Amino acid sequence: MNPRRAFAVTRRILTGLHHDRRTIALIVIAPILSMFIFGIAFSGSVSNVAVGVVNQDDGLVSLGIISNLDDDTLDIHYVDDVEAAVVEVEDGDSWAAIVFPPGFTASVMAKVNGDSNAGSTAITVRADKSNVNVAIEVIRAVTDAAMQTMTQQGRELPISVEDEPVYGEGADFMDFFVPGIMAFAVFLLTTLLTLLSFVGERTSGTLERLRASPIRESEIVVGYAIAFGVIGMLQASLLLVIATLVFDITIVGNPFLAYLIIALLAVVSVSLGILLSSAAKREAQAVQFIPLIILPTFLLAGIFWPIEAIPSWLRPLSYVIPPSYAVEGMRSVMLRGWGFGGIWIEVVALLGFALVFLFLSVKSLQRTSA
Amino acid sequence: MIAGNGQIAVETRQLVKRFGRFTAVDRLDLSIQRGETYGMLGPNGSGKTTAIKMLCGLLKPTSGEALVLGEKAGHRSVRPRVGYMPQDIALYVDLTVHDNIRLYGEIYGMSRGDIEREEHELLSFVDLEEWRNASISTLSGGMQHRVSLACSLLHRPEVLFLDEPTVGVDPELRASFWEYFEALRERGVTVIITTHYMDEANNCSRIGLLRNGQLIAEGSPREVVESAGAANLEEAFLRLAQRRQS
Repeated sequence: MNPRRAFAVTRRILTGLHHDRRTIALIVIAPILSMFIFGIAFSGSVSNVAVGVVNQDDGLVSLGIISNLDDDTLDIHYVDDVEAAVVEVEDGDSWAAIVFPPGFTASVMAKVNGDSNAGSTAITVRADKSNVNVAIEVIRAVTDAAMQTMTQQGRELPISVEDEPVYGEGADFMDFFVPGIMAFAVFLLTTLLTLLSFVGERTSGTLERLRASPIRESEIVVGYAIAFGVIGMLQASLLLVIATLVFDITIVGNPFLAYLIIALLAVVSVSLGILLSSAAKREAQAVQFIPLIILPTFLLAGIFWPIEAIPSWLRPLSYVIPPSYAVEGMRSVMLRGWGFGGIWIEVVALLGFALVFLFLSVKSLQRTSA
Repeated sequence: MIAGNGQIAVETRQLVKRFGRFTAVDRLDLSIQRGETYGMLGPNGSGKTTAIKMLCGLLKPTSGEALVLGEKAGHRSVRPRVGYMPQDIALYVDLTVHDNIRLYGEIYGMSRGDIEREEHELLSFVDLEEWRNASISTLSGGMQHRVSLACSLLHRPEVLFLDEPTVGVDPELRASFWEYFEALRERGVTVIITTHYMDEANNCSRIGLLRNGQLIAEGSPREVVESAGAANLEEAFLRLAQRRQS
């Protein structure tokens, strides 16, 4: 590997961009536009959300509410104590702990009978609000179940639902949305730009000229990866600045970890673009790959709703598309404030995808000579 | 196995390339000495470009052997010593003339000083000095061709493969191209050039006539004309082709 040759490729891409205003506009405007359109327009519904129920009461009212919990939205399991249920949420094993305090039913009945000194009649929801959509759905499901129980009882009950987030205190939809759209924008644009750029290399004959020169296929691929890694990180910075200034989002964790994830995702995207380019003879054919890249990412990567809420038969697909790991990793860093210890699985997965795709893209270039 | 000979720049033996059922190059035997200007002549589809691509390592032969400077064609050790100008312009049209030249200079491991020196000399040769900072996309087809030639000469290759270098180039510039190829030959550079302009072939020290992937005649232009009993190369080609058919 000769770094100078790889950097020569990197420089040629960045210099080329400098002269290409349309592509610069695409790099700058498209992610911003996506964020505005989807941030404002999108509203989704979720299902199969894993929640732990801690019932310290076991009275009629709490059992009634639990039986009324919407089992389409929630995937309920029971946990013995509050601490264990919260640990599950902290570890990302469940989205929320729904806690009924001791003596809940007795307190409710006492309040109904006018005893103002009765104990707590609040159901506490300890949710992971790194995914706001999911947290809102959990709270809504608990509130609905309480209302339904009152209707069954034929009277108003003094029950409240308290929201005590484990992660994402004060988070709103944009806080949840930004990490996902950052990963989505970088993945989509990097894959497309590399795909089109490489099809251009093939059709114009420049790739052939390169292949007759001493440059190695790996140097071409690494040159591309560095250039688009840099572009991806610039896009991420741009989005972070806009998200912070315009949408006032909260970033709890270390932004450098977010950059690491974005850079890895960009490398994955570059090699995917090169791989796809070997199946496209012209730009017009390359454009046909766009829906293939967008749709699975859009639906399965957990950008809008959590992977846990995707039907189980579709879920394996989520784990074979790289942006899923980037979205989850970005959210864990930015909203949960997790360090490297919390996101190492995502980092290793992205690194694995990057290595495999880089290897395959180098092979696809070598195979062209056959 | 062909023995690598220091005096032989390019050698092929029974070189064949098939694409499916179509045979593009058919049992080609070539032996080109160092310092020769060898012209591969033939109509479109006669296998010239396919042969050149195999000699540059861009296509894998179906069978047979190809050696360049004593090494297997396209081997990593031989690539820095070889120059290739493809038929397409093959330049980055979003970059300037200078950016393209610098890219190839760096890829061939040249120092910045060497790149600048060669760039100056080559751009003055192809008469594009004042276009150094112009984007390729703003140049005419002929100008782009000249930049493409400059890129393939930059690293002073020992063997130069030129695939139809004079297509789309005006007659005046074509003449100066040939003068430059002659100057390269005097410097000891082996030039292998494909063309379908029969009149150009008189500038070559030797020519090979290709038809349907086969070498149908080889020798100096005069030898080929005489062996066919023709008045010029064009006529010689037609006669030889007819003889093959009958």
